[in-house]
Amino acid sequence: MRRSKALHYGAKKKPDYVRKQSYRFSRRALLVGGAQAGLFGLLGWRLHQLQIKEASDYRLLSDENRLMIQLAAPSRGSIRDRTGAILAEDKENLRLLVVPAFSKNLPETLDRLSRIVDIPRGARDRVMRAAARQSGYYPVLVAEGLTWRQFALLNVLAPQIPGMQTDRSSYRKYHHARPMAHLVGYVGMAGKEEVDLDPVMRLPGFRAGRAGVEKTFDEQLRGTPGTLKFEVDSRGRVVRELGSTPSTPGKDLVLSIDHHLQAVAQERLKEHRVASIVVLDVETGGILALASTPTFDPNEVVFKVDPKAWGRIARAKDQPLQNRAIRGQYPPGSTFKVVTALAGLHAGVINPRETMSCPGVYRLGRARFRCWRAHGGGINLHEAIKQSCDVYFYETAKRMGIDHLAAVARHLGMGRVYDCGLPGQKEGIIPDVAWKRAHLMEPWYGGETVIAGIGQGFVSSTPLQLAVMAARVATGRAVLPKLVLTPDDPEPDWPALQLDPSHLAAVRSGMFGVVNEPRGTARRSALKIPDVQMAGKTGTSQVVNAYNEHKLSPYERETHALFIAYAPADKPRYAAACVVEHGGGGSSAAAPIVKDVMTEALLRDSAKAPAFVGLSRDEVARQVAVAGDDG
Amino acid sequence: MKMLFAQGPAVRLDLAKKLLLLNWPFLALITAIVLIGIAALYSVAGGSFDPWASRQVMRYCVGLALLFAIAFSDIRWWLQGAYPLFILALLLMALVPLIGVESGGARRWLGFGELSFQPSEMMKIALVLAIARYYQWLPPEKIWRPDALIPPLLMIGVPALLALTQPDLGTAALFAIIGGGMMFLAGVSWFYFAGAIVAVVVALPHAWEMLHDYQKQRVLTFIDPETDPLGAGYHILQSKIAIGSGGFSGKGFMHGTQAQLNFLPEKHTDFIFTMFSEEMGFVGAVILLALYLLALVFITFMALRCRSMFAKLVAGGIGLTLFAYVFINVAMVTGLVPVVGVPLPLVSYGGTSMLTMMIGFGFVLNAHVNRRVTFRQSELGGLW
Repeated sequence: MRRSKALHYGAKKKPDYVRKQSYRFSRRALLVGGAQAGLFGLLGWRLHQLQIKEASDYRLLSDENRLMIQLAAPSRGSIRDRTGAILAEDKENLRLLVVPAFSKNLPETLDRLSRIVDIPRGARDRVMRAAARQSGYYPVLVAEGLTWRQFALLNVLAPQIPGMQTDRSSYRKYHHARPMAHLVGYVGMAGKEEVDLDPVMRLPGFRAGRAGVEKTFDEQLRGTPGTLKFEVDSRGRVVRELGSTPSTPGKDLVLSIDHHLQAVAQERLKEHRVASIVVLDVETGGILALASTPTFDPNEVVFKVDPKAWGRIARAKDQPLQNRAIRGQYPPGSTFKVVTALAGLHAGVINPRETMSCPGVYRLGRARFRCWRAHGGGINLHEAIKQSCDVYFYETAKRMGIDHLAAVARHLGMGRVYDCGLPGQKEGIIPDVAWKRAHLMEPWYGGETVIAGIGQGFVSSTPLQLAVMAARVATGRAVLPKLVLTPDDPEPDWPALQLDPSHLAAVRSGMFGVVNEPRGTARRSALKIPDVQMAGKTGTSQVVNAYNEHKLSPYERETHALFIAYAPADKPRYAAACVVEHGGGGSSAAAPIVKDVMTEALLRDSAKAPAFVGLSRDEVARQVAVAGDDG
Repeated sequence: MKMLFAQGPAVRLDLAKKLLLLNWPFLALITAIVLIGIAALYSVAGGSFDPWASRQVMRYCVGLALLFAIAFSDIRWWLQGAYPLFILALLLMALVPLIGVESGGARRWLGFGELSFQPSEMMKIALVLAIARYYQWLPPEKIWRPDALIPPLLMIGVPALLALTQPDLGTAALFAIIGGGMMFLAGVSWFYFAGAIVAVVVALPHAWEMLHDYQKQRVLTFIDPETDPLGAGYHILQSKIAIGSGGFSGKGFMHGTQAQLNFLPEKHTDFIFTMFSEEMGFVGAVILLALYLLALVFITFMALRCRSMFAKLVAGGIGLTLFAYVFINVAMVTGLVPVVGVPLPLVSYGGTSMLTMMIGFGFVLNAHVNRRVTFRQSELGGLW
C-alpha cells in the first residue's frame, strides 16, 4: 500500500475512527456489564422472594411431607337426542392406581393387589412400562371398573400397601348404544401425538373423543380439569388437602336425532349384511335418523383395558366401525335420473311434453347402451322417471353434456361434505371434464356422459348426499343437513334453488308416479297411511365392470339397491335415502325399508314435537335437589 | 485513500511471558465455581463421588488442558481460522438431521464411536469468533452502513434457523442474544436496535395469531403453571418448593430433602441450582451468583484492556455466553422464564457445556494474553 501524498499538503486530518470505536466499545461494554449486574439483581430479588419472604410456605410444603398434585378430570358433557333421551353420559368408575415413587417394590405391590383385583398379564406389563417411562409421581392406572366390595377392601388395606391409590372417576356409558354407535362415536385413551400436545391427556384414564360427535365436539364436551393438592406422608397417604381448583364440566350436546326412529331404522337394516339409511327433516335439515349396519357396541370399546375386544371390532367382517351413511360411496344409479332430468330441463334440451321411444338399447357411434327393458314409444319425462327408462336419460345427458349435468348435481348438494359435525365424511365424485383431466389425465369421452346420465360410471355419492338431494328436490330450497340442536337456533331459511319451479314440479310428479301409479318402479312400497303419499326414485347400480368381473364373489357381483324418497308428497316434511350394498334391486331391497322408516317418521312426526333443549347443569342439579336425593 | 490500522510493533510473545501475562485470579475463580458444582453433584448422588462428581472432575481436567492450549496459542491462528471454523460448524449442524443420533426425542448429537458432541455447542464458540473477525475487518467508518449489517445477521440467522429445525428453541435464542450483544458492543448504531425492538413488538401479536393452539397453550402454561401442574408446571412448582424451603441458611450440605426425592429427572443437570439452593439457602445461592457476576466483571475488564477489536469482541462475546447461560438457567428454575433446558455452566453435570465454557474461557484468556497485539491490514486480507 502506498501512502497517499495528500497528507503532505496539510489536508484536513481525518477523524480517528479506530480510537472512536475503541471508546464506544468501552462505553457499551460497561453498559452491558451494568445490565448484566442488574439482571443478576433480579435473580437475587427472586431468590429473596422465594427463600426469605415465602420460605415458610414452601417449608410447610416440603417439611417431612410431600406435595402431591393431582389433576381432577372434569366430567364429560352428556349427549342427548331431540327428545332428551341420554345417548352418552359419564358414570362413576372406581379405579385402582399406583404411584411408583411411593411403592418400595412395584412388582411386589402389584402381586399383593392382584389378590383382590384381577390384574391380567398385559395390564401388569403396561403398568411396569409406564412406571419406567414417566416421573415416579404420576399415578399409573392398574384396574378400573371395580366393584364396591373390591373398592372398600382396597381402601381398608391401603395403609399396608405403600404406593397404592384408589379413586372414583367416571367412565363413559352409552345408551341406545348399537343404533347410535356411528353417530355418537366413542371416547378412547389419547394417542401419543395428543399426549405430546396436551399433558392433561396423560391423566390416568383421561379420554378424548375418537369418532362421531364425541370427536367433533370433543373440546366442548371435555371441560377443563381442576387440580387437587395434597400433603402426603412418606407412604403416599393423604394428610390433608391444600386447596384445589375445581374442574369445569364439559357442556352438554343435544342432537337432532330421534333415537326411537333411529332404532326402527337400525332394526329394518339388520336383514342385510351392509346397508345404511338417512332421514332428514326437510324444513330444518335436521338429521332424524342416520343408521348403518353392521354396527358395534361402543361400550365395549370404552373400557380399553382389554385391547383384544377392540381388535375384534376393528377387524370384524364388513367393518362395523365404518359409518356407511357418510363413508359409503356408491354409484347412485337411477336415483341420479332426478338430477339428470332437472339438469336437462334447466339446459332446455328436453321439455316435459317431449316424448322419446325406447327400443331397449341406445346407440352412440358404435357403442350400445342397454335399457333394463324396452319401454316402447311415447315415453315423456313423467313416464321416464316413473318407469326409470335409461334410454331417455342417456339421450338427455348426451344433449346437454357432462359439465352442465355436474353443475346441477353440485347445486343439488352432491359431491361435497357437509359441515354438520360428522367427522370422516367422504365427498363422492361428481365428474366433469376438468375433474377427469386433473385426476386421470385423460380427455372426457361422450360415452362417459351417457352413462353418467343414469348415475353410473364415475359418479358416486354417499347416502347422506342422496338424502340432501332428495330434500332439495322436495322443497326447492338449498337444504343443508344439521345434527346439533342449540337453544338459540335460528329458524332455518334456506335460499331457493336456482331452478324453475315448473321443472321441479314435473320431476316431482314423476317421483310421485314411481310410488303411487301403475307401472311405477316402487308402487309396492306405497304408504299405508290414509291420504299421505310418498314420492321417490329407485336405483339399482351396477358394481361389476370389465376390470373386476373375474375377481368378485357372487355376493360382491350383486348390484347395489338404492331408494330416495320424501313424504308427504304434497307437502314434504321428511326426506330419506337408503342404500343396501349388493342388495339387488332398489325396488325390492331398499324401497320397503324406506317405506317402513318413513311410516314411522310420519306417525311419530318427531320433527313437529318440540325438541328437547339442553338444560343448564345448574338447573338439573336444582331439580335433583328438589326431587330429594332418593337415588 | 485507504485507512490504515494503528501500527503497533507486531508483538511476539514466548511462553514464559505468556505465563506471566495470564490472568491467574480469573482461573482461580472459575475453579472455585467448578468445585462448588462438584460438591453439589456429590450431594445429589447421596454423598458419593459416583456416578457424577468423579466424572465431572475428569471433565474439568480435560477442559483445563484445552483452556491452556488455547490461551497460549497464537491469536493470529484464530483470527485467520475464524471463518473456516464457522463454516465447519455450520456444515456439522446441517449434518445432524441427516446422520445425527437421537437422544430424548431430538436430534442434536453427532456420534463418533464412543464420543458424541453437539455441533450447536461448537457453533456458540465459532459464532463469537466469526463475528469478532468480521468487525476486526470492517473499517470503523463504515459501521453505520446498512449493508454492513448483512454478513453478521446472516452469521446469526443461519445457525439459528438450523437450531430451530432440530428443534431447539433455547439454542436459537442463545445465538440471537450472543450475536445481537456482540453487534451492540462492536458499535452498531442504537437506531438499528431500536428498530429491531419496534419490529418485534409490532410482529408479536401477528406471531401469536400464527401459533398453533397447543403452542399458545404452552405459553399460557408458563404464565400460569397452575394450569398444568403435572406437565412443565410440575417441575417448576417442585423446583420452587425446594428452593423456597431452603430458606435463608439452607438445610445444610447433604440434607436437602426435596431434591433427594427424585422428583426432578434433571436434578443433576438443568436443575442443579435448585438442589444447591435448597441445601445452601439464600446465602449460598447469592454467593454462587456473586461468583458468576465476579467472573463477568473480570471478563468485561479483560475485554476493555485489549487493543484489537477482535480480542475485545471475543472476550465480550464469551462473557455474553456465560451470562446468558447462567441467567436463563437460574431464571428457569426459579420460575421466571419457561423451561427451555439450559444447563448451569461449570456446575451442571454434563461434558458438553463444561467443555464449551472452558474452551470459551480459553479464548478470553488468549485475548487477554495478547491484549497488546494489533493486526495489520495484510493479516486480514479481504473478507476471507
